[in-house]
Amino acid sequence: MRDDLKVGVFLCECGGNIADIIDLDEVRKSLDVEFIGQFENLCSLNGRKIIRDAIFDHDLDRVVVAACSPISHEKTFQDYVKPLNPYLMDMANIREQCSWVHDDRKRATHKAITLINASIEKVKQSDAVDPIYCQTPKEVAVIGGGIAGMNAALSLAKQGTKVTIIEQSPSIGGHMAKIGKVFSPVKIAEECGMCLLNPILNELVWNENIEVLTNSKVIEAERRAGTYNLIVEQSPRYVDTEKCIACGKCAEVCEVEVPNDWNDNLSMRKAIYRPFGQSYPESYVIDMDNCSKCGDCFRTCNMKAIRLKGKPEKTLLQVGSIIVATGHKLFDMEKRPEYGYTRYADVITQSELGRITGVNGPTKGKLLKSNGEVPKRVVMIQCVGSRDEKPDGHRYCSKICCTVALKNANIIKHKYPDTDVLICYTDVRTPGMFEKYYKHTQENEVRFLRGRPGEVVKKGDNFIVRTEDTIKGEFVEIEADMVVLSTAMEPSLGTREIAEILNIGTTEDGFIKESHPKIKPVATDVQGIFVCGTAQDPKDITDSIMQATAAASKVSEYNYGGVEIEPFIAEIDNEKCTVCGDCISRCKYKSMSIQDDEIYIDPMSCTGCGKCLVGCKERAITVNGNVDEKIVATINGVLSKKREGERMILVFLDNIGYTAADNIGVNRLSYPESIHIIKVISVNRVSPRHIRYALENGADGIFIGEFPGDLMYDEVERKIEKVKECIAEMGQNSERVTFSKVYIPYFTGLARKLTDFDKKIVELNEAEL
Amino acid sequence: MTSQQKITDSPIDFAEDIIEDVKNSKDDGVLKCVQCGMCTSTCPAARHSDYNPRDIIERVLDGDVTIMEDENIWNCFYCYTCHSVCPVGNSVCEVNQILKQFAITNGIGYDKLYEYMGFADSYFTAAIGAIPEIFFEDIDRDVPGWWDFRQNLDEIRDELELDPPLMPSKEVINEVSKILTITGFKDKIDKIRESQEE
Repeated sequence: MRDDLKVGVFLCECGGNIADIIDLDEVRKSLDVEFIGQFENLCSLNGRKIIRDAIFDHDLDRVVVAACSPISHEKTFQDYVKPLNPYLMDMANIREQCSWVHDDRKRATHKAITLINASIEKVKQSDAVDPIYCQTPKEVAVIGGGIAGMNAALSLAKQGTKVTIIEQSPSIGGHMAKIGKVFSPVKIAEECGMCLLNPILNELVWNENIEVLTNSKVIEAERRAGTYNLIVEQSPRYVDTEKCIACGKCAEVCEVEVPNDWNDNLSMRKAIYRPFGQSYPESYVIDMDNCSKCGDCFRTCNMKAIRLKGKPEKTLLQVGSIIVATGHKLFDMEKRPEYGYTRYADVITQSELGRITGVNGPTKGKLLKSNGEVPKRVVMIQCVGSRDEKPDGHRYCSKICCTVALKNANIIKHKYPDTDVLICYTDVRTPGMFEKYYKHTQENEVRFLRGRPGEVVKKGDNFIVRTEDTIKGEFVEIEADMVVLSTAMEPSLGTREIAEILNIGTTEDGFIKESHPKIKPVATDVQGIFVCGTAQDPKDITDSIMQATAAASKVSEYNYGGVEIEPFIAEIDNEKCTVCGDCISRCKYKSMSIQDDEIYIDPMSCTGCGKCLVGCKERAITVNGNVDEKIVATINGVLSKKREGERMILVFLDNIGYTAADNIGVNRLSYPESIHIIKVISVNRVSPRHIRYALENGADGIFIGEFPGDLMYDEVERKIEKVKECIAEMGQNSERVTFSKVYIPYFTGLARKLTDFDKKIVELNEAEL
Repeated sequence: MTSQQKITDSPIDFAEDIIEDVKNSKDDGVLKCVQCGMCTSTCPAARHSDYNPRDIIERVLDGDVTIMEDENIWNCFYCYTCHSVCPVGNSVCEVNQILKQFAITNGIGYDKLYEYMGFADSYFTAAIGAIPEIFFEDIDRDVPGWWDFRQNLDEIRDELELDPPLMPSKEVINEVSKILTITGFKDKIDKIRESQEE
């Protein structure tokens, strides 16, 4: 049947690039097909007419274009074969992988014939398929209402996208709302953080495209073709935000006092409270864990806004993309008892110092010790929990603590020039313009000591900070009456939870992992989910805003561009499938899930790697596009041209490996003619059966290359080891199979590896003679 | 004084030797030192003498082999505080032990070891490590009442209804002595003693 298909072969001279080395007349004579023609430059615009005319004149079913690499011109020729389906065309790469890497005319010509023959056999197995076009819903969920989430939401809303912010606390604003003063390195001046935050908050509140859900958490998530169904649980506020006018009478009559967490527990608040003056929604909230249910607030409220009864409500939110902006928390000081934080009231964190110096803080901005006096000497200790390999410590640098310490030291010096401020540091990290601020701080007579203190002890009225002045090489005991610890930033609980719920990857430190730290800094390893702010790693406000707007921009790409997907993805036969879930756990790309009691495969994330096939006992999964048949046909197409005494090595490479191999040609390096490169969607698709089949039918060696950054790499590496064992059991030499890492820039290395492998095969062949 | 680094100098070799030593349990810890001084800030030896653990690592990383001859290295008594507080996972304490071993191998520090011969002897006479008598005076000065306590230990135990301390038997002592002799410990002891008693 498929053998009867009419195949047309179009040979491109590539202006001599191909024809100078490969004898195309010989090629034409050697191949038996319905049509074969030779042209000077097929990719030029008249190539379209040549190919289309031949398809009509000869009634061609399939087309092989023997020319350059498909990486260069596959899209061109897929277009030129119209009205034939684009997937009924295959390219034989006789330039990058033949004429550019070989110089022996005869052998190169024979290899070209082999490669074209392999393409002919392969294309016969192709079927007409259509690319899958996905359009995701435009609605977006932003999880976390801090400075990152707020900016991401605003950016999207201004582009016309409907956004829902899901914030677990009673107000949006996040850490920035309580930070007190902020500074920018260029201005060399501290500014009111709330004054910068408020306009953003107002703009957000008034934007009709944004809905804010406070007291809310995502508790479940599932996805379907780029649509995420989020179950959001909203805890009751016990105050009707529509009626409450935030007059505060309720709090006046409330008799329950509890530590105010917004002030880092440095002051008290009532059980009915407003988190902070500018909090949004502009409404009070009852902390039901501490409420005595006396009913005083209920009776006092003129607006009748208080609802003492309430239950958590679950709602379904359908969105196309998600931005995770769940932020950070600070290092738990109970883990470093040597600094006495839990024992002494005047050993505090930089965050607490921020509250104390904030005009809306517990002391109305006055720097006071617990006894009400202004401290004479403040010692700051850097890197607490950061750059620390001890148990519970973090190996990374928290990035902002140096500048935070400088800022707070300056704020103290402005108001209390007589208070001595000493910063104990290991390195002062003030990159770029921040260095100017460091100099400014020195000018303000803040002192610096290079040494990492070992402990803080109480001696009489004062503390003793024990450290070495490492520049002098002297052990010193510094008297201080206030100690400030620069604590590490670590992933918030919400960040850890959402990673689990959305099934997105995290780093070893628990932050949300980008899909590539260098070139994809806002994408996660799940399609359609993006990350920004300190949920991703420690960063300052400016960086958080930049990443937030970048994430919003990536969402817009989806929303306005849609996504066209190669159709070679997995498909489930629901008649056979027992929904055992094996494939779900196998899929590294997290593209499988159960929906309505059936396995659902998300076309946006499936790569067609075929890993799910392996474990499917019911054989209910297929990957579209006859991938398996194509591999076998290609192997046959190569090996059927093997001549007496010829060595044939089959090299299986995925897109990355194939591009590296092309680069060998582009850079005019060489490797032996025995090397025949076969491009596959994923090297995982090359099964032990294929390898055995090739070796039994004349292949001298099998080389499999994989990019170590691919999610499937470990899998493939393990598999090859098994294949080798199985080859050995069959009595074949397992050294005829090899596995190697490939990287696009290291094409010289790949050329060398291919050459070395060929040498090895020569030795093996000689030994077996 | 200007110190020079010749193109052929390879200061890191010294640290490499330490890393490869069997006593090192911290892999490349020593190479990761950033000289923060947290070890020195908690070191009892640093508080009471010129011993400086941070400086030890600095000199090691500089490839300064004269550190072996530095009297100060003998002031560390292995409390392991530096080992447990080091933020980069280094252990000056172990490095110190390795340096001392290097010193001994190079014939340095026998006079320091000589003071501890009493320990070595007690392994042969009692099969346990006992505090050498030459330290009694110092201990009594540092720990008031210690000498009285030691003199009356039997009575105190009796009063507390504790059995007399369990001591290794004659056979055990013979066996331990034999092991120490075969493994070359005895030869080393003799060598140190000879060098000081000439």
